[in-house]
Amino acid sequence: MMKRHLILEDGTIFQGLGFGSPATTFGEIIFHTAMTGYQEIITDPIYDGQMIVFAMPVIGAGGIHAEAYESVKPTISGMIVHDLAEVSVNRQRRMNLDRFLKQHNIPGLYQVDTRQLIRHLRETGPQKATIVDYADEHAVDQLVATVLTNKQVQNTATPKPYANPGRGRHIVVIDFGLKHGILRMLGDYDANVSVLPYTTSVEEVLTLDPDGIILSTGPGDPRTLPESVLTLIRVLQSKVPMLGIGLGHELFALANGAELKPLPSEHHGMNHPIQEIISRQIFYAMQGQGYAVDGETINRKKLFVTYRDLVDGAVQGLRHREFPAFSVQFFPDAAPGPLEATAVFADFFETVEDYVEHYN
Amino acid sequence: MSNITTNKEIKKVLFIGAGSNDFGREAEHDAAIYQVMPELRGHGVEVFVIDENPYALSLESLAATTFWQQLTVENIKKIIREHHIDTVAPLFGGQSSLRLWAEVVQSWAYGDGTMPNTLGLSIDMLLKVNNLPVLTAFMSEHGLPVINNYVLKAQDEANELLRELQLPLMVRALHPNQTNTRHVVERLDDFEDAINLAKVQSVTQEVIISRAINGLKEVSLEVLRDFRGNKMQIGASEDMDPIGIHTSDSLSVSPILTIQDQLIGKMRDYAFRVADMLQLQGIMHVQFAVDDETRRIYIIKVSPYIDQMATRMALATGYPTMLVAVNLAMGIALEDIVLPHNFGVNAAMMEPMMDHVVVKLPVFPFGELSEAGVSVKRQLNSVQKSIGTTLGFGRTFIEALEKAIRSAHFNNASFSPTNMANINDDELIQQLIHPQDNRVLLLIEAIKRGYEIDELAELTAIDEFYFYQLQHLHTLEVEIEADTDNIESLRRGKRYGLSDGLLARFWHTDFNIIRTLAKENSINVSYKAVEPSAGEFPENARQYYATYETENESVQIHDNAVLVIGSGAFRMGDAASGGYATTITLSELRRLQYPTIIMNNNPSDATLLPHLADKQYLEPLEISDVMRVVELEKPQFIVIPGNRRKLIKALRNLGQRVVILPKERHTPNGPNENQSEFALNLFYDGHDSYPINLTQHMAGEMRIIPQIAKMPDDLLATHIDNPGVYQVIWYQNTTHWKEHVDTSNIGHDTWLRPMPFGQVAYLTKAMQIQWIRLTIRAATNEMTEEDNAMLSTINQRLTTEQIGVIASDVNYRLHLQPSKVIDGTRFEIGVSVKHYG
Repeated sequence: MMKRHLILEDGTIFQGLGFGSPATTFGEIIFHTAMTGYQEIITDPIYDGQMIVFAMPVIGAGGIHAEAYESVKPTISGMIVHDLAEVSVNRQRRMNLDRFLKQHNIPGLYQVDTRQLIRHLRETGPQKATIVDYADEHAVDQLVATVLTNKQVQNTATPKPYANPGRGRHIVVIDFGLKHGILRMLGDYDANVSVLPYTTSVEEVLTLDPDGIILSTGPGDPRTLPESVLTLIRVLQSKVPMLGIGLGHELFALANGAELKPLPSEHHGMNHPIQEIISRQIFYAMQGQGYAVDGETINRKKLFVTYRDLVDGAVQGLRHREFPAFSVQFFPDAAPGPLEATAVFADFFETVEDYVEHYN
Repeated sequence: MSNITTNKEIKKVLFIGAGSNDFGREAEHDAAIYQVMPELRGHGVEVFVIDENPYALSLESLAATTFWQQLTVENIKKIIREHHIDTVAPLFGGQSSLRLWAEVVQSWAYGDGTMPNTLGLSIDMLLKVNNLPVLTAFMSEHGLPVINNYVLKAQDEANELLRELQLPLMVRALHPNQTNTRHVVERLDDFEDAINLAKVQSVTQEVIISRAINGLKEVSLEVLRDFRGNKMQIGASEDMDPIGIHTSDSLSVSPILTIQDQLIGKMRDYAFRVADMLQLQGIMHVQFAVDDETRRIYIIKVSPYIDQMATRMALATGYPTMLVAVNLAMGIALEDIVLPHNFGVNAAMMEPMMDHVVVKLPVFPFGELSEAGVSVKRQLNSVQKSIGTTLGFGRTFIEALEKAIRSAHFNNASFSPTNMANINDDELIQQLIHPQDNRVLLLIEAIKRGYEIDELAELTAIDEFYFYQLQHLHTLEVEIEADTDNIESLRRGKRYGLSDGLLARFWHTDFNIIRTLAKENSINVSYKAVEPSAGEFPENARQYYATYETENESVQIHDNAVLVIGSGAFRMGDAASGGYATTITLSELRRLQYPTIIMNNNPSDATLLPHLADKQYLEPLEISDVMRVVELEKPQFIVIPGNRRKLIKALRNLGQRVVILPKERHTPNGPNENQSEFALNLFYDGHDSYPINLTQHMAGEMRIIPQIAKMPDDLLATHIDNPGVYQVIWYQNTTHWKEHVDTSNIGHDTWLRPMPFGQVAYLTKAMQIQWIRLTIRAATNEMTEEDNAMLSTINQRLTTEQIGVIASDVNYRLHLQPSKVIDGTRFEIGVSVKHYG
């Protein structure tokens, strides 16, 4: 393996060995503290264009599994680990993490002092970074000159509607960069799923006569999306039960007048205690969030806070006072992550059943 | 039925200690109790503790009223009655305390008064947990995946069952009279014997039979639950060795490396459901069998109490496990727990994450026994054979493994790599299928001989990941060996945790040359903190381990600090007394206001408790490891057990000031069965010797002779190097306890030796004099007037209470199947107090 370098925008340079694709790469660098689920994490569209540093010291020991994809094609821009394991577990015994990243043209860097890097990033916050062969001035200039895309949702969300048929309730998923975990959960309820582009009109959605609507997870800053998305949410929430997840939660908040603020320390992991305010119950869930809903900007007449992160108090869930609509910032699909968070889907389907009953 | 306590009702708590050490019972419970008693005290609770083990630190705690008594139902009832105990805490003493407390509860009679509550568990659940078939059925009713147990009394019932179930079968005793009765029956011929053995081991002569699940992966999860039903996971590990090898004898790894998130999520969910089912308030260890192929999971053991997994995980993650567990047991909610200031505000509620790998290696008694001419059955199976534990910390599996191997510092012939070369292929295959303690070397040997990884994985039921890793290690070693004096090779070797000693062996040189070479080429150690946020939040860590990376996080703590070298894993003959001595040393040094640093790698004793030292290095204890810490910390002196002669010599050669805790290199020879060992015990303060008393040691039992000890003049002149407790030893042909012995002419056929730590612990408790503390004060010139006054009259003090100690009844036959009787005086594992007279 070849010596390569990670350069941060603030000029810090880390040395490591390359794996995966030998290409030069640019992206925003963040760190993740989850100890399981590396395959799910690197295939999750929410990390589109980002470089992920893993705190977990050994990555790759579980190989690559058919059931652990969160998207068919991963779109992260890089992966930085301490120790890389070469294990193949698929039937052909030929797909380890290194080959997987090569296949998807994603550069990786290992034998990096990831603990040092994480301790550095926790002070600076996320920043631009590049993985290159030579850490020379040219590479630094390139990094400084690079403008990262803010079109992550466009990059990952489906441009065309598609169905994931089932025999249960009809759920429409508005796709902002959907992860498979949500579809898997809906499958557990045998839902009849239609996944629609976020550009779909209100009429088109309502024509499908959904029993419930899910605003999917997705990457990036939701404020870069067109105003039409918020209008869509505002209309639909008053008509059909709605669950917003991750980016979908942020959009739900924006549509109801709240504002977002960047988190002083981003949440990427699954060890923060999250409290359901009404019951005081604490549970844990996978989190991947750079923004949170600013609690001060919530219109209390419309929305109330349902969950909070007990580490920094960040809003983790909202519910509409008038409509059967609610949202969570964390990922309740447990892919990866603790199963206890999947109770959110049970809530959602209860709401859906109430709604269906009401109309019958 | 719920009589779980809320904190307002708790005024007087009695802790039940774990008792004498045994296979599977080191000092983890004592360490836990020692740590949590002051916390309860801080809540305004009056604390009591009973234990029979002379090495119990909790019996020397200032936070509690202590009872050094045999752990019996009567003694516990008596304490409860006389001291109006309202709450009993058996869960910190582990399974044996739980069992004993269940006995007390079941024998509770009207005249005994109000029965105290149980901290953390209702009586109903306590009794369920204590009865395996009942617990299994209870879990099954709750829809949890368990392996069905069949309880039977008669052989013909067993034969009936044999027709229904397939071999292999697991046979064990119901209501066992000892810790470990599991037997896996693979051949029909062994079935009857196993049933008969288990019957004998059962108090009720009943046997449990279940399907054996050999070959599956064994996984452990440690979880917490508060009274509101909030649950969290605070540790997880996987065993490299498959089920069929006792988990204590397995190489275990944290965090879990080879199992997918979805399966771990399921196990977590099951563990949480068990905690809810038991309405637990506190800590629980759940063991699983995992079938990677079919993705099936079985719950194989539920331990809602402190065990080795709990203490190991606390050390591996840096999470304040014991403090949180006792708060939860007290009925305090997870979000209301207040931790000492050096933990983050939310530390109790954040699930600990790891950015390092911890490998646990068992330490077996085979080497010591073979030196004494005792051969034992080395093949590993479902009955525990190891007696100690050691941890290796690193940033890769290989680094952690290498450090764990070095921490275990085997004095074991079977660990010689050349030995492996002599094994023929048939033997190799046989040993791969029926592994022994040296299996890691065996696996490397198999890789060397070109066996395919999938073939080996199939044969051993060990995950392929480990073979890839060992292959990597093998290649690395071959390359380094071929590349003498190459700096890049040295750098690679250090990065993967190879020691200076090993590299020196590869390059036919001395460790000091390697050390210098590394230094000259800026291959420097970097210490990383062990803290539960994996770097996410600023830490205030005290625990560090060494690795070779760019950033070092450890800075010199103080220019006046003292470094204490621990005694590592438990071994035969030492039992828990080494950890006892080290812990008291740390405590005394702190009392003398020295900033303290401890180096050790044993997770099962108190030496590495979070607040015992100002700083901890979780490291092997070889000279190169110690010197790296010394170079950074520049301690004013180093305290070290006297048996580490090579290390002491090397440190002195490198100009270090060493303070020795006197200890013999080998476990003392015991007297034969017609003899007694007599000792004239004395304290040497660096200038003078003070006779203490006389003791007699016979058939594993020891008593103080009620006689004033006098030093014969010729002995007074004997040269002693270091302050400490010593004894003049002689044997006499007698099997009677003496009231008096003639010491006037003991100059002949006697010898002087440092008193074994175990006996020091005994004298400390029996005489109420802190001998280890006094030794430290003498060695640091901190003796007081009172000390001197006490010493000058110490031999006049006759203990009136007749307290002896006796080696506990360890079932060697079950665990080791030794070729001859193991001498209990020489190879003690556990001892307990004995009141005689």
